Amino acid sequence: MAKRITIDPITRIEGHLRVDVEVDNNAVSNAWASCTMWRGIEKILRGRDPRDAWLYTQRFCGVCTTVHAMASVRAVEDALKLEVPLNAQYIRNLILIAHGLHDHIVHFYQLSALDWVDVLQIPKADPAAASKLAESLSPWTRNSRNELKAAQDKVNAVAASGQLGIFANGYWGHPAMKLSPEVNLIAFAHYLQALEYQRKALQVVGMLGSKTPHIQTLTVGGVTNAIDLDSQGALGIDRLETIRELLAEVAQFVQQVYFVDVCAVAAMYPDWFKIGSGVKNYLAVPDLPLDSKGSAYDLPGGFIMNGNIGGTRPFKTASDQEFRDGVTEDVTHSYYQGAKPLHPWQGETEPEFTGWNGEQKYSWVKAPRFKGQPMQVGPLSQVLVGYAQGHPLTVKYADLALNRVSAIAGVRATPDMLHSTLGRHAARAIRAAMLADLAQKHWQLLVNNIAKGDFSVHNPPVFGREVEGVGTHEAPRGTLSHWVVVKDAKIKNYQAVVPSTWNASPRDNNGAHGPYEASLLRTPIADAEKPLEVLRTIHSFDPCMACACHTFDPEGKRIAQVKVL
Amino acid sequence: MKRILIAGIGNILLGDDGVGPYVLRLLESSYTFDEGVELSDLGTPALDFIDHIAGLDALIVIDSVDNGKSGGAITLYGKQDLLRNAPTIRMDTHSPAITGSLVAADVFFGVSPREVLLIGISASFYDAGCKLSGPVESAAKEAVRLVLAELDRLGVGYRRKPQAEPNIWWMSAPQEQSA
Repeated sequence: MAKRITIDPITRIEGHLRVDVEVDNNAVSNAWASCTMWRGIEKILRGRDPRDAWLYTQRFCGVCTTVHAMASVRAVEDALKLEVPLNAQYIRNLILIAHGLHDHIVHFYQLSALDWVDVLQIPKADPAAASKLAESLSPWTRNSRNELKAAQDKVNAVAASGQLGIFANGYWGHPAMKLSPEVNLIAFAHYLQALEYQRKALQVVGMLGSKTPHIQTLTVGGVTNAIDLDSQGALGIDRLETIRELLAEVAQFVQQVYFVDVCAVAAMYPDWFKIGSGVKNYLAVPDLPLDSKGSAYDLPGGFIMNGNIGGTRPFKTASDQEFRDGVTEDVTHSYYQGAKPLHPWQGETEPEFTGWNGEQKYSWVKAPRFKGQPMQVGPLSQVLVGYAQGHPLTVKYADLALNRVSAIAGVRATPDMLHSTLGRHAARAIRAAMLADLAQKHWQLLVNNIAKGDFSVHNPPVFGREVEGVGTHEAPRGTLSHWVVVKDAKIKNYQAVVPSTWNASPRDNNGAHGPYEASLLRTPIADAEKPLEVLRTIHSFDPCMACACHTFDPEGKRIAQVKVL
Repeated sequence: MKRILIAGIGNILLGDDGVGPYVLRLLESSYTFDEGVELSDLGTPALDFIDHIAGLDALIVIDSVDNGKSGGAITLYGKQDLLRNAPTIRMDTHSPAITGSLVAADVFFGVSPREVLLIGISASFYDAGCKLSGPVESAAKEAVRLVLAELDRLGVGYRRKPQAEPNIWWMSAPQEQSA
């Protein structure tokens, strides 16, 4: 008998996303992703000075402040054809890298790991055996028996105090949990350690951005960091050295712990390399510019249609003409007025709330499309687009991940397996490992450039009569684009097309599912009352709906409602 | 020296939700504080809230709440209220983050602030826009007084400084677009 399951809220961090699935014969037969409140924040920007826009846009979302600030200044710079001095590019890149590393660590350990790790198994673990296993997988120095025993004692103490129930939303004890007690213990110990390293990454953002959250050092045309090697207040030798040390510590955690854990956990859930593929159109823009113009990048971009990796089309720049021309937003199934898909520069945001109706309108998220097609964005897109182009750093870590999974699982892991729920987790770890390398590279580029005697950080903007621009950033959750129309030095229109809008998109005018929806189809469901499998796939996208829209928390405790149809 | 964080929380783009950052600017423009006291506009943090509160002696949070009371009503929540009611206190988007972070900091990491006070101001509206409703704006002034009272209780000093205009930049009016 078919059942309808409504999951709301689905993220543990913020309750904006609602997912409805129909389950028939223990598998998902239909799916709807929706967002439960209106976004209309962009309207606030109309009439304002484009140089101030980033201060507002970084308030779109509390998790992704930095990325919205960056996309905004880039949009105005694109409109004005304004180049950015090398130092400013490198400083921005370092901020983005540190933000990305922080975000990926938090996503895995604080949000997603509990979908796979069963804390209730930890008391049964043998810390000595767990230590031996962990040390066989990684040179990390904090996998000793004592360290793991301390983590186990913590779980035992929390269980004894009766407080473990607070965390029980994770469906612990669910039949879909497969890790051995020892692997559960290792992952939990690393969850405790992750806190230190995520804070170090945040510290780097704070040192270069002056504050966190809400960095203060951006400006249209560059950054406002004063470079003075002998000064303690400005960006000088002392501060640069601290930043280098912090980034090195975070890089080590990412490469020796996070990357290793993801490969190990993935290898123990091989079925999940066959589940959760969905939309196989992938989109990523180039990022980490290496010159003032933005004509060379350290991270490649491009797009893939219908899973045809061989047919990957690269983007030359972060605002490539094909990207500028190809993006539209459709509102057929969204609570907005409007008849046809619109380009973001012409975008409108007039609400028309009709109530949830799966056949008609059912979401406050618009349906962004590229060349008329739904696109998946995020680390998986970033990695596939890079892998297809033979990008050396992508190939290095993607092959390393696949080889590790192969060795542990005893199967041959291939790039094709990445079109899946676990593929998204693996890709995020691959991307993080790449960023860890690039952190050190861009620090060196900055220092070398300063050593040449270049202290320039800013080019002043000059406004024309009416201009349009797009600013992109390949953010932790995928392609972010801000679209601005500037007239007489004031903002005439502003639209943000954010990663979670691409992924959480509802159906479009052709009835094509968005990526969340498509990824859930045919997913096996062991227990409709506890749809852990749905959470696993949705969490693999790292949903963050605050920038797609905003609402207050309805009920913290309820996770799923099940209705027999 | 006590490490104390006074955190304003909320989204300045969504009406009354911005009251936390607003109160913070009022405090910043009118007072100086003993060493060890940090004021921070944290916006709408998620689970990374834990990064900001770990190891503090005391945490004072000013935030909008959705608890069924009329706009501008102030409700005080102590640490135990937040820990006990973590899943059920109805607040806005960032509340799961605050309570979730606090619970994790307390239970697993053992780094939660020793003392916590949440000054909750009931909101009237959350529409996109940078203005506060009248009752909430009035409540903001009362919230300032409550923050100072909490500092008195904690034995932490503060001094009135020459009146300066608070830097509430987001409330400046946009310009009319010419045709």
